[in-house]
Amino acid sequence: MNDLEALLPHVKKDAKLDSKNHLNLLPELADLNNCNNALYFEARRHEDLYLWAAKTPNGPSIKMHVQNVHTMDELKMTGNCLKGSRGILSFDKAFDESEWGRLTKEVFTHIFGVPPQARKAKPFVDHVLTFSLLDNKIWFRNFQIVEKDPLQPNGPPQTSLVEIGPRFVLTPIRIFEGAFGGATVYSNPEFVSPAAVRSALNKERGNRYKSRKFQEEERTGRKDHRKLEEDQLAVSKVFA
Amino acid sequence: MRSKAATSKASSAFSKQGKSAKGKEKEQAPEQLKVLQRAAESSHEDDNEELDDQEENEEATDEDEQEFEDVEEDDAVPVDQLSDAISVDEDAVAQQKVEIDNAIAMERIRETIRLDPSLPWTETLVVSYPETVDVDVDDDLNRELAFYKQALHCAKEAKTLAAKHNFPFTRPADYFAEMVKSDAHMERIRQRLLDESATIKRSDEKRKEREGKKFGKQVQMEKLRERERGKKEMEERLKGLKRKRKDALDDAQGNGEDFDVAVENAISDRPSKRGKTDGRGGKHTSRQQRDKKFGFGGPRKYSKQNDKSSTDNFQPRGGKPTRGGRGGARGGAKRPGKSRRVAARSRS
Repeated sequence: MNDLEALLPHVKKDAKLDSKNHLNLLPELADLNNCNNALYFEARRHEDLYLWAAKTPNGPSIKMHVQNVHTMDELKMTGNCLKGSRGILSFDKAFDESEWGRLTKEVFTHIFGVPPQARKAKPFVDHVLTFSLLDNKIWFRNFQIVEKDPLQPNGPPQTSLVEIGPRFVLTPIRIFEGAFGGATVYSNPEFVSPAAVRSALNKERGNRYKSRKFQEEERTGRKDHRKLEEDQLAVSKVFA
Repeated sequence: MRSKAATSKASSAFSKQGKSAKGKEKEQAPEQLKVLQRAAESSHEDDNEELDDQEENEEATDEDEQEFEDVEEDDAVPVDQLSDAISVDEDAVAQQKVEIDNAIAMERIRETIRLDPSLPWTETLVVSYPETVDVDVDDDLNRELAFYKQALHCAKEAKTLAAKHNFPFTRPADYFAEMVKSDAHMERIRQRLLDESATIKRSDEKRKEREGKKFGKQVQMEKLRERERGKKEMEERLKGLKRKRKDALDDAQGNGEDFDVAVENAISDRPSKRGKTDGRGGKHTSRQQRDKKFGFGGPRKYSKQNDKSSTDNFQPRGGKPTRGGRGGARGGAKRPGKSRRVAARSRS
């Protein structure tokens, strides 16, 4: 997630937090760094990634599940932009339609919006951070704004976009009142934890195995049942 | 502690109750916030320890709600008020995931953290897209297109807004600075693009070539066959002409001109008239010859069957002698044995 750090010039990165159970340390940490917003990436079981987006002194915080991550290192995204230029934040209308959406928009505006006084910020705008709400998930994309058509350098300026990356999908899980804790004010009823998904898959596989074994057993039982007992006049007896 | 089921009902039924409580809620908001913050602090530990575990967390939240029942009216509605709203079905509710959507609290939080609306646009650079992205989630192409459209629209709008706020937007061509992706990385991207296009071109060419080969072979074969046929035909015509005119050529020179015309007629693809030649010489080839060539008359059906004489006759039939095999033994002297050959060589 160094990508986000590269995109946001006012970000201070801190070392990894070794304990997942003491999230209340995080606000202190943010305070030490004079930050009032925090993004905390929490990896679990080496395969699930969660993102906490929080306003640190006293909330709120949003916990999200991160999926479909494509980093900027991938060669398919051909755009590029100034390091530290302030990006436009673009939200689609769906954010304004629900209360949690509005809250999320506000928090994201705080976190992803680069303040104009940021020391490392460059004075121009050449990329757009897009947040779209689709299927109850937040889709994040980052595009470069290309104003001149490279094919017609002398033609009229025509705005087009090239994707820079990274891209990922956030599934909101909960919104808490405090920073990294506090009462829940929103919980996504549709969210199924990836662990549950995996366990369901495993269970299904187990069920398949079980039913197969059961059928096998039953078959052998039926076969035994159908076997006729040896006849008195069987060939092997008569000609013994 | 109240049963979980009841709480979940409470929260689901909140939407009905919440409307009436809204007015009261507004007045209480500031002090409620303080209390809630206290609640957050007090429940901090157990909340944090079990955040990943949904169920546990639910309980923790429920505890909060119970403690501050009088304050959080939106979440905690007495059970007896509920019974008429929703029929009690313990099992079903226990299975259901508890949904919390505390809109009032969220609105309050948003109020507290909201940026000053008097801030100029250049502070935040936020642009809202006036449409919702409404496409099929699994349709990758359309989805990305929708995102692209959104971003494009916002970029254009931002540009106009920037012009209005007198805010530098476009980077001048002579402004160079560190980019997000390093030059080496961009070079790799470019290389990859080139490679890709080269691969496409190559495979395209290959395909075309393969098709051309397949087709070209056919064409060539056709041409060769055509030429051969033409040659044969020509020869035949000439031959026929010569045979017919043999006597005429022998005695009279005066007919030479006639012959030339006939030859020309024969050579040209479309002989001027069959009847012309017929008028003088009759048929091209003799009846007998043609019968022999195309087969006419004579026994057909049993011609290859053995009859009385051929049954006992072991002489090979006429025709080309086969090479090798038994046929070889027939003709000429046998090769002498090895010892004889060696002896002959030593003698000479």
